[in-house]
Amino acid sequence: MGRATVTIVTGKAEARQRVQSGRSGVLREIWEHRADYAYVLPAIAVMLVVIAYPIYYTIELSFFKTPPGLQLRDKTFIGFDNYTTILTSEVFWRVTWNTLIWTLGSTLIAFVLGFATALALHREFVGRGVLRAILIIPWVISAVAASYIWKWIYHSDFGIIGAVLVGLGLADRPPNFIDSVNTVLPSLIVVNIWREFPFAMIMMMAGLQTVPEQLLRAAQVDGASAWQRFWHVTFPHLRNVSTVTILLLAVANFNSFIIPWIMTGGGPSNASHIWITHIYELAFGRQRWGVASAYSVLLFLTLMTLGYFYVRALSGNERQEGSA
Amino acid sequence: MTRITLGSAVLRGTVATALMASLMSTSALGAPVDLSKWSPEYVRSIAGTQDFDTAADCAKVTPLDYKGRLTFWYQGVFEGDPDLLRQYYKDFFETFRKTYPNIQLEEQALTYNDLLDKFRTALLGNAAPMAVRLQILGGTEFASKGYLEPLKPEDVGYSTEDFWPGAMKAVTWEGVTYGIPTNNETMAFIWNADIFKRAGLDPDKAPATWDDVVKYSKQIHDKLGIAGYGLVARKNAGNTPYRFMPQLWAYGGGVFDEATANPTYEEVKLDSPQSKAALQASYDMYVRDKSVPVSALTNQQADNQPLFLAGQLGMMISHPSDYDVMLDLQKKATGADKDKAQTVIDNMRYGLIPTGPDGKRAVVFGGSNIHILKPEYVEGGKVDEPAAKAIICMWTSPEWSLKMAYAGSNPGNLNGFKTKWMKERLDNIKFLDVTTSMLPYGIPFPALPQAPEIMNIIVPDMLQNALTGAMPVDEAADDAAKRVRDLMGGL
Repeated sequence: MGRATVTIVTGKAEARQRVQSGRSGVLREIWEHRADYAYVLPAIAVMLVVIAYPIYYTIELSFFKTPPGLQLRDKTFIGFDNYTTILTSEVFWRVTWNTLIWTLGSTLIAFVLGFATALALHREFVGRGVLRAILIIPWVISAVAASYIWKWIYHSDFGIIGAVLVGLGLADRPPNFIDSVNTVLPSLIVVNIWREFPFAMIMMMAGLQTVPEQLLRAAQVDGASAWQRFWHVTFPHLRNVSTVTILLLAVANFNSFIIPWIMTGGGPSNASHIWITHIYELAFGRQRWGVASAYSVLLFLTLMTLGYFYVRALSGNERQEGSA
Repeated sequence: MTRITLGSAVLRGTVATALMASLMSTSALGAPVDLSKWSPEYVRSIAGTQDFDTAADCAKVTPLDYKGRLTFWYQGVFEGDPDLLRQYYKDFFETFRKTYPNIQLEEQALTYNDLLDKFRTALLGNAAPMAVRLQILGGTEFASKGYLEPLKPEDVGYSTEDFWPGAMKAVTWEGVTYGIPTNNETMAFIWNADIFKRAGLDPDKAPATWDDVVKYSKQIHDKLGIAGYGLVARKNAGNTPYRFMPQLWAYGGGVFDEATANPTYEEVKLDSPQSKAALQASYDMYVRDKSVPVSALTNQQADNQPLFLAGQLGMMISHPSDYDVMLDLQKKATGADKDKAQTVIDNMRYGLIPTGPDGKRAVVFGGSNIHILKPEYVEGGKVDEPAAKAIICMWTSPEWSLKMAYAGSNPGNLNGFKTKWMKERLDNIKFLDVTTSMLPYGIPFPALPQAPEIMNIIVPDMLQNALTGAMPVDEAADDAAKRVRDLMGGL
């Protein structure tokens, strides 16, 4: 008993000592690197102003009612009512469903297409450089310009696709791409994939450079088929870069605004509204700053979750590189 | 080219008289332009009868050697405007700088659809400009929230009677005036006479009623395989309410009672049988007859203009500037397209907007207003009032309110109709008398702070819900009415 007590006291003392030495250690570290901290201080100050404060203000605003007929300073505290309003709203669930389809559809298909293209371009062949440069064009072109171009390509009366189909006798009248509630979202996803797959392609091409050639040769000597070499050698090496690529695409798609806003404005009949366009309309079109802020908080939490996995994936990469 | 007997048409309309009375709710006695005599002939008779010295007039408001600084945002020209208008905007700012060489002017042009969003955001951050020119829809919203300084025509040397009474309503909130109209316009109806002829319709006769529009549109589509009527139903786009509201009012409907002589805006009427009949007409054209562009749900008027010029659209509600826009587009066309476009221009006809089943004719009374912001919402916390008044005096002068509206609108200052430039317009711009003839039928949007949301979001949503089949017509109208009631109830 007595021994146990002594042990506990000793344990507490050690812990205190560890904490104290830890604190002094951290402070000492900071002091020793004071010049480094001074260099990054302006950047931290800017981050606090342009990131931390808006986040705080958005969270604060999400607990207030902001009637559209009054100034923002006339807001009234309503607790979690904005969140309740959102979560019980039919439009929210529809927009959420659209957002999921948009994000998952765009991310996965852009990734698969980009990966397949990267594999095809990994081999040496004549004109590979030119083809690679051409395939990157959709990614470097301005999203605004691309949206207007695609709007005309899709135009339900005089679009190029419709004209070709009618000209070839494959359709009686141009197909309705973006003026129908059933086809608008898939049509926009196609545009988004077109714009994003080069990013996945570049990432995966970079990843493919890291796959050890000798492992692939050894597998070939051992009689492994092309598929077996891909599945058992190439793919495991690309796991981390794939995870990072998918997460980056997912975050970008969750935040994607330009394509749906310019091409359809969220319509027709809300069929292409995703979270970010709906938030914009609520805030700037309808001046429901409180509700829009609550929406933004939900979006922020979702993106933070994705960000957590992204950081974890990056840490995994670093660990792997460290152990290698 | 056919000239319609517009003067008699204007004077005959009994509904027009009532609407005119609403626009003239303040006494026109003593007004420089006698609105009670309004007709194309009257407009021609006063054009070029008076000269104005803008610099001398404005010097009485702000001395020409005044030294100051002004930040100014305005709804500027956009892709659907004619080149002529671009040139006048350029001339205005050059002239202002010459007239007031010591005022440092920092102006920024924004398009119709972007201005409200950007201005609202700037106000939240107390980063607004000192003066702003907003679309007619925006004045009440910002006045009611306390962002604007009281400002009336008398503050810049003019008289309230120099402006359309209906336009003054749009800048008045709880009896106080917060701005000055710069320009006011009403739209008209244009059609392609050649398409009408080939479809078996009278090429020189506009559809008399909206029911005729539905019939004509179907006939054009069935016979020629092209779109009959240029329906526009995009959301968050000013074009949509400007084209649907005339139809809604003609059928006897409305959002409230804004089409009556003395509106109270108390009762929501979007779900009335008359409003539903108007929505049904759009549904019939888009869904039942498929006689309008399928792209109507994502189109704006700027998208319909090239279709009309390409001979692929029979008729549409048209802005006064559309004739000039067609000329600009024709100049830019090449090869066979140039001739084709010229044929369409030669076959272009302007007429009054059709009536409803009971003979009611209506059109949106559009335009823009200019305002001064309160210092606490302005970047730097200061407003240079003399500098702001200088630019406002100049823009709302008879000369510049006419020139800045030369191709696309009409002068907000009624004295602009008396200038030599008005005479020049009447001689040079075809169909101008038709669009000015629609002015007495003009109905202002409800002068309520909620009007932008109703017109830019709720009304287009109603159309889209009905036209996509997301809701039956009745349900779409009921849903929109409920949303307006909720909005007015503070939700």
